[in-house]
Amino acid sequence: NGAAFPKVRGSQSGQDSTRWHVVRKFLGLTSSHNIPVYLIDPLILGLVDKDIEQIRSSPDGPNPECKYFCAPRDFTTFALLDKTWKYEVGLFRTAEKMGFQWLKIINKDPRLDGMDDLSGMEIPLHYIFKLASHAIHLVVFYERSGNFLWHGPLRLKQHMDRKFVPFQKLHFGRYPGAYEKPELLLVSIDDLKVQIPKNPSSFLEEMSHSRFLECRYREARAFFQLYPDDTSHDAVEFRKKAKCLLHLAALTLNNLGVKFWLSSGTCLGWYRQCNVIPHSKDVDLGIFIRDYKADIIPAFQNAGLPLKHKFGKVEDSLELSFQGEGDVKLDIFFFYEEDDHIWNGGTQAKSGKKFKYLFPKFTLCWTEFVELKVHVPCETLQYVEANYGPEWKVPVKTWDWKSSPFNVQDNGVWPIDEWDNVIQIY
Amino acid sequence: MDEWKPNPAVKAHKKRSWYLAWKYKLMNQRALRKLCQTGAVLFLLVTVIVNIKLILDTRRAAYEEEEESAQDYDDEMLNVEAPRHPVNNKKVLDVEVYSSRSKVYVAVDGTTVLEDEAREQGRGIHVIVLNQATGHVMAKRVFDTYSPHEDEAMVLFLNMVARGRILIFTIKDEGSFHLKETAKNVLKSLGSQVAPFLSWRDMWTFVGKKGGEVYGEKHAKSPALSTWGDPVLLKTEVHLTSVEDAECHWPDTELNRRRKRFCSKVEGYGSVCSCKDPTPIEFNPDPLKDNKVFDVPVAVIAGNRPNYLYRMLRSLLSAQGVNPQMITVFIDGYYEEPMDVVELFGLSGIQHTPISIKNARVSQHYKASLTATFNLFPDAKFAVVLEEDLDISVDFFSFLSQSIHLLEEDESLYCISAWNDQGYEHTAEDPSLLYRVETMPGLGWVLRKSLYKDELEPKWPTPEKLWDWDMWMRMPEQRKGRECIIPDISRSYHFGIVGLNMNGYFHEAYFKKHKFNTVPNVQLKNVESLRKDNYETEIHRLLGEAEVLDHSKNPCEDSFVPDTEGKVYVMFIRMEQEADFTTWTQLAKCLHIWDLDVRGNHKGLWRLFRKKNHFLVVGVPASPYSSKKPSSVTPIYMEPPAKEEGAVAVPAVAAAEQT
Repeated sequence: NGAAFPKVRGSQSGQDSTRWHVVRKFLGLTSSHNIPVYLIDPLILGLVDKDIEQIRSSPDGPNPECKYFCAPRDFTTFALLDKTWKYEVGLFRTAEKMGFQWLKIINKDPRLDGMDDLSGMEIPLHYIFKLASHAIHLVVFYERSGNFLWHGPLRLKQHMDRKFVPFQKLHFGRYPGAYEKPELLLVSIDDLKVQIPKNPSSFLEEMSHSRFLECRYREARAFFQLYPDDTSHDAVEFRKKAKCLLHLAALTLNNLGVKFWLSSGTCLGWYRQCNVIPHSKDVDLGIFIRDYKADIIPAFQNAGLPLKHKFGKVEDSLELSFQGEGDVKLDIFFFYEEDDHIWNGGTQAKSGKKFKYLFPKFTLCWTEFVELKVHVPCETLQYVEANYGPEWKVPVKTWDWKSSPFNVQDNGVWPIDEWDNVIQIY
Repeated sequence: MDEWKPNPAVKAHKKRSWYLAWKYKLMNQRALRKLCQTGAVLFLLVTVIVNIKLILDTRRAAYEEEEESAQDYDDEMLNVEAPRHPVNNKKVLDVEVYSSRSKVYVAVDGTTVLEDEAREQGRGIHVIVLNQATGHVMAKRVFDTYSPHEDEAMVLFLNMVARGRILIFTIKDEGSFHLKETAKNVLKSLGSQVAPFLSWRDMWTFVGKKGGEVYGEKHAKSPALSTWGDPVLLKTEVHLTSVEDAECHWPDTELNRRRKRFCSKVEGYGSVCSCKDPTPIEFNPDPLKDNKVFDVPVAVIAGNRPNYLYRMLRSLLSAQGVNPQMITVFIDGYYEEPMDVVELFGLSGIQHTPISIKNARVSQHYKASLTATFNLFPDAKFAVVLEEDLDISVDFFSFLSQSIHLLEEDESLYCISAWNDQGYEHTAEDPSLLYRVETMPGLGWVLRKSLYKDELEPKWPTPEKLWDWDMWMRMPEQRKGRECIIPDISRSYHFGIVGLNMNGYFHEAYFKKHKFNTVPNVQLKNVESLRKDNYETEIHRLLGEAEVLDHSKNPCEDSFVPDTEGKVYVMFIRMEQEADFTTWTQLAKCLHIWDLDVRGNHKGLWRLFRKKNHFLVVGVPASPYSSKKPSSVTPIYMEPPAKEEGAVAVPAVAAAEQT
């Protein structure tokens, strides 16, 4: 229809214009089927982000040159929200007529994985539309409990064409990912109307640590075969309170922008049984000391969680405890990073004794836990094993935080003159 | 006596009813003895026999339980086998059909497609439908025509089968006792010579093409009442037609592709597979204005009753305001045919690996289905829960859309249900009227996510507890004094007669005459008055307006209520404390409403209609509304029946739990 760039035709190479043409065809395909896709390509969003002010201010402005969609790359990546779309054979027929070759990657629905042996239809996770030398990667996002979006990993099944596209160069699909629901913005770039995340830079930031870990539902089921779940009134009540407290803590810390993860018993509960351990008495979170903010204490107090005790200080072995509803305690441990390990501290109030708990280095992943999107250490097994030893699979009801942990070390005694500061009990 | 034989006193084929019938029979014997007054010796003697009978009976029952536990909670066996190997290039099929007292089988080209030699089940006429082009088994049914009404079901089924299909019939044990004229005529019209004369314990096999030739028929007469006809084995050949002839030529659309896939696989769904004028599989009912339940997920709980599921989904997809994308069908087991039905309608279905047995299995299936529903629709605050044996009223979603905000805002509510346990043809009248009740009716209801996630899911009964989920949900520990909102006229209709706790008799007595709303767009009346405190005001207003009936008359008599319309009447019955339902139960019995346990009460008050008048029943002195009783009125007391009959009611209640 003549909507090509003079520059594309002229000075830019055929390769560049091919990319733009393929994107244009793909956008035409999706809009003709009312499929609301949005651009999540990190490369293009990176370029867009540099000019974001200008793009926002002139949504319809003509572009002098093909600046974004002609940039060299193998793929252009788009996203699709599952619930805004119903699978249609028609789309693929049209795609074929337009000359696209396409590939669909389906797999089990993780939202049913936690369930006792449910098998639904497999769900589409990724599509690839190939035309000439360019390909579109369409990532399907699903809503998950915990008010977030999830996309699946891209795994090729045996019969699939491994050379269809250079899969290892894809930006999405190496791992599953978790994202907030994005706010979208309709913009016109390179004369193409396209939806993009309203704030490309924060989307790119989010993307860089979006890796998602599924709970180990099968192992959890096996665990409950061995140790039947406690469904007594007390257990049910505790779980309910712990879930509530965790939701409140997550809300408070997220509002402050403080990154946290499930630690100690709460992490073990997630890893071993995909649930809160009913005989644990508290909720445990970890925070890197570099993320510490003085606002944390007042924020929790404002949320209705009074400070119960504060041990240590920012420079050393900091630990905060807040009193949740009905005897459930929220423990926040601050973690200190060293060259080859990470540790957190403990303090015995009556003696002033210090303890140190050592962990191998870890990174953070997202997971879903009690209807919440939260962080856990990606290297969960090492983390849990460091803390609970090789026997972590066996439930232990009597637990002494000073002696039971596998990784506890004595760490001296606080000097008497510091006690007022480093041992505060309310 | 250890031998099982059809016994005129034993009517239903379900084990539990069979057991019940035994008990009834024993009761009758006792009554007889009383009449005869033959004295203690005879009595003792008979008691000994009865006890021996009972012991044997119990043993057998236990044995049956074991046998049955391996099975599923449904009765039908549909297309369980994988499709037979393709026989496309072959023109002739060898068919073998065997009929006898204790065994039937059908083999097609040497492959056994039916074999039933299980003791004490599979009685009646077995029917198999083959595709005339491929020889694939498309449907497999058994109709226990020894029992009443099963012949009607068979006629219905045979009428559904497309012309040209191959039909194979064989009798196991007995298939004639309740095989009525109509059914015999249908069989005759298919070309059977013997069917019109089939009689007690005859053996019979028949192979024919619907609307076409007969491939063979064999028959063996029973020589005497006490014996069976000799086994018969029919061997015949069936000529296959071309695939072209066996398929319809519908226009190539996405819908018709679904239809084609379905119709080439299964049979017995009638006009949906008609070549000329197929019934639609997409319904596009009018949307609802301001639909508050458009985004509420709908979980359809299903077993292996694909014909029921088909009927249910049709009514559901025809209801105004339905949102097909929110519907998920949860199938308990790896059954193909229910999944075929789900796919026919373009819905999503989830299969559930069987765990546990019977009631507990249904219960586990419910739990898995509910959890999955909230996982799949994480934004949902509610879920609509339906079962495969319900018809859904055209205004089902409209009813929910108008009332759902109550469930969100009023914490004293437990659920909204589309079903009024006491809403029979003669006791329900007003489609715009809602009640609050202390019982949880189920059969089409709305569950709040927070109730499920925070309270029910964490302590849902584990498989080893053989509990019914609905009975469990009705227990005070779960319900915690909360109430459900129900309509006067039900928005669902329970049509299932084959189920775990269901049989034809039970269905006829308690479900058939249930009133079902067919009026679209009913505007509900004064919905706000259903809130906890408002409802009390409303009840007091009603009681204030109500005319006290003449308590000297018999409340069971029609004349108890004057021949008026649109008035409000009140009667007072004796109810010593909160759990004293003696008189209520008797009243319910004589009014022919639900009497197997107490349903539909609100603080010792029941609301229903009699002769188009609103009819209130207040239990005195337990109900707080007792104060409305004029001092001159003595609450009516109705005597419970004699002990013996009372004992029968116990298993009956157990049988009353709905599947």
